[in-house]
Amino acid sequence: MIIALERYWADYGCVLMQPYHTELAAGTMNPNTFLRCLGPKPWNVAYVEPVIRPLDGRYGENPFRFQHYFQYQVVLKPAPENVLDLYWASLEALGIDLRRHDMRLVEDDWEQPTLGAWGLGWEVWCDGMEITQWTYFQQLGGFDVELVPAEMTYGLERLAMFLQGKRTAFELEWARGVTWGDVYREAEREWSRYNFEEAPVEVLTRRFDEYEAECRHLLERGLSLPAYDQVLKCSHTFNLLDARGAISVTERAAYIGRVRRLARGVAEAYLGADEEDAVAAA
Amino acid sequence: MPSLLLEIGCEELPAAACREAEAQLPELARAHVGAAASQLFVGPRRIGFLVDDLPERTADEWVKGPPENLRERAAAGFAKKHGVSVEELEVRDGFLGVTVPGRELREVLPEQIDRIVRGFSFTKSMRWDASGMRFARPVRWVLAMLDAETILGETSFGHRFTHGPVEIPNAAAYADQLRAADVEPVADERRRQIVEGLDVVGGWRDPGGKLAEVVHLVEKPIVLESRFDERFLQLPERVVVTTMQSHQRYFPIEGNRFALVANGGEADVVAAGHTQVLEARLEDATFTFERDVATGIDALAERLGSITFFAAAGSFAEKADRVAKLARRLGGGEASLEAARLAKADQASELVREFPELEGYIGAEYARLAGYPDAVTKAVEEQYLPDSAGGPLPQTEPGKVLAAADKLDTLRVAFELGHRPSGSRDPYGLRRAAIGLVRLALEGGLTIDRELLPEDVREFVEERLESLLNVPVEYVRAARASTASDLGAVARRAEELYGERESPEFEGVYTAFDRAHRLAGKAQEAAAAELDRGLLVEDAEKALAEALAKVAIDGNGDLKAALQSGAELAPVMERFFDEVLVMAEDEAVRANRLRLLLDVRDTLGALGDFSQIPR
Repeated sequence: MIIALERYWADYGCVLMQPYHTELAAGTMNPNTFLRCLGPKPWNVAYVEPVIRPLDGRYGENPFRFQHYFQYQVVLKPAPENVLDLYWASLEALGIDLRRHDMRLVEDDWEQPTLGAWGLGWEVWCDGMEITQWTYFQQLGGFDVELVPAEMTYGLERLAMFLQGKRTAFELEWARGVTWGDVYREAEREWSRYNFEEAPVEVLTRRFDEYEAECRHLLERGLSLPAYDQVLKCSHTFNLLDARGAISVTERAAYIGRVRRLARGVAEAYLGADEEDAVAAA
Repeated sequence: MPSLLLEIGCEELPAAACREAEAQLPELARAHVGAAASQLFVGPRRIGFLVDDLPERTADEWVKGPPENLRERAAAGFAKKHGVSVEELEVRDGFLGVTVPGRELREVLPEQIDRIVRGFSFTKSMRWDASGMRFARPVRWVLAMLDAETILGETSFGHRFTHGPVEIPNAAAYADQLRAADVEPVADERRRQIVEGLDVVGGWRDPGGKLAEVVHLVEKPIVLESRFDERFLQLPERVVVTTMQSHQRYFPIEGNRFALVANGGEADVVAAGHTQVLEARLEDATFTFERDVATGIDALAERLGSITFFAAAGSFAEKADRVAKLARRLGGGEASLEAARLAKADQASELVREFPELEGYIGAEYARLAGYPDAVTKAVEEQYLPDSAGGPLPQTEPGKVLAAADKLDTLRVAFELGHRPSGSRDPYGLRRAAIGLVRLALEGGLTIDRELLPEDVREFVEERLESLLNVPVEYVRAARASTASDLGAVARRAEELYGERESPEFEGVYTAFDRAHRLAGKAQEAAAAELDRGLLVEDAEKALAEALAKVAIDGNGDLKAALQSGAELAPVMERFFDEVLVMAEDEAVRANRLRLLLDVRDTLGALGDFSQIPR
């Protein structure tokens, strides 16, 4: 399935990337989406992203919720006029006969307050199953996008359940004779214990402050890419603290505000660097 | 005269945007092509209209220029601006001017249509390309036809997956051509087809009101029926129904049956797919439900300390404490207090986080499963009632007490934080809470002490009485100023005052109050602080003081008796005004007489502020 998507989007002309190297709660947070979607340069990219959402773990007991799963992320910037047709054709490339099924685009607007980002779009339904989140970004890091990108985020487990006719992710055939459950269930159990019970609150609280300080320091030095990694680490640390129940509601808004300010700072620095490049090129 | 077809082809519009477009289309047509649309087309992928009998030319237009007496100074400039010579200018009513001839329809239509397309205003809109245009979702084509002539665009497009471009031979044939391409462009017709399909299946329900949205989720509605695995019937029914409606927009039928509206595909494949998705959702709901039950309502209640009620108003745990105190002051017994402790526990449950509309209901269910008695669980379930102006009230006593305490607390806290509703903005539902509170007193018979309401909240709540009681507002306002001690008593007082308005006793009290109020009401500062019997000189004023001391008025008691007692003052007052000069020379005597009159007014005023009632 992943190979089919890679081939399809590579043929279209996307840069194929590999997953990012630190924990992300969504493929959108990968700098290949978040940062590259800022500024005036066109950019087409596709990659698999394992997403980590500590709060969503259920100890491997609930076959529909996990703290770790996979997205296939495609970004076309700017969105071409036939972008939806390109998307539908990608489903055909996966072997889905669009005429046999009930395919629908159901309003689903996207907002990520920690990144100061929002967009309008849909969830794509295939016989009622949400297989893709589809978004036209409007703002990232608090800045209006210059070229409106289309983001397509395929939910790989859901898509696989649909293609394989399986009722739960546990039963998915990951390789011949090997199920998703064989591969990931124990990890779900252990990580849920870590996320909910063992993650060290004091250490994490301190780390959040350290990542934040480092981000500011790096921004002063004009290093937007390393600074962005600190934003991602802050975000994940916040998610872990949240899962540990260590953040009260009032603190919660404050933490989100801190991450958002960092993300804005990075976006600003990145756009500044972008402009300098443009000037240099001219 | 020709017919005009306009079709704006979009990527799938949200239902809310479709409704906004539907509301704006007629006016846009009138404003920009100057005619009423004979038919509207509104759906997820296209918005448009048909206008019949459009004039071939737009009307000639008279453009008024400078006054004739300024001909020498201004005529040349005006003529040049309109591309005519000075000699061609006409004179009407003392003004120079020019008749701009109407233009060919074909010539003006492209601009007019552009103005229509750009004229929509959506609550949420977006940009999608370098043109910078904004719309609810990207516009991908515009087709305009004048009878058989194409003005803009080339073709329409049929159903996304079964048909490609669709040639439209002429404007009037548009709808039929699309119907042949698996698209029903008329929203009302899609609604009719959906309802007809659901009626064939029979027994469908739509408690979440999803039909209006579903109409705009499909271009070719296909109603299918299916069944989910019976084991999910063990879940509380509302959980099943909410899962079905809130995520999937399905329509529940009894038992394990449900109906869905698809946009295409092979019926059995589509129904099987949707059923599998629903079962997965129900499975997930089962997990969530069982986890909540395993945690238990008491443990959930203990977690409320970390959940905010609303910003700056503390946690739900604090709210629960306040509600319990109010419940006690509202005369609630053990069941109400227990219910108050558990009422908000479901805010900590996973199921309510997922489905906020289950609040109350699911808390009651968890309390029931934990073995709490019916009186408690019922109260938890009824706490949000009445949830609309005409909605049902709680049926149980503890339910009424809890519902009133909850609303009282919300009102008190919101007002304290300055969240008073203004205009149509009422984000915390305070009007609904106030109406609910008043109805609990009036229809529910609950005694809600007015002292429980801080002054601004009391004003706000009692203003609701004015529209809820079938009594002229002046009587309600009069009663609000009475010493009646609870909301229900205020309402009864207003009704009784209105009922007695023609009786001689009412007349007597009214006149006594009125005369005292007119004379002394504005001289409050000149009046003595207390009546000094030693300063009473005249017989008539002594008689009034004596009569006043005998008047027995109980602000909460029987109005008839109180009026009778009060009316005894009438003849004594009359004599007083005949024989006594209130504004006496001696300042102390004058102050004392003013005090006597104010005492008359205030004693009678316990029944209400009669000055509010016009005569």
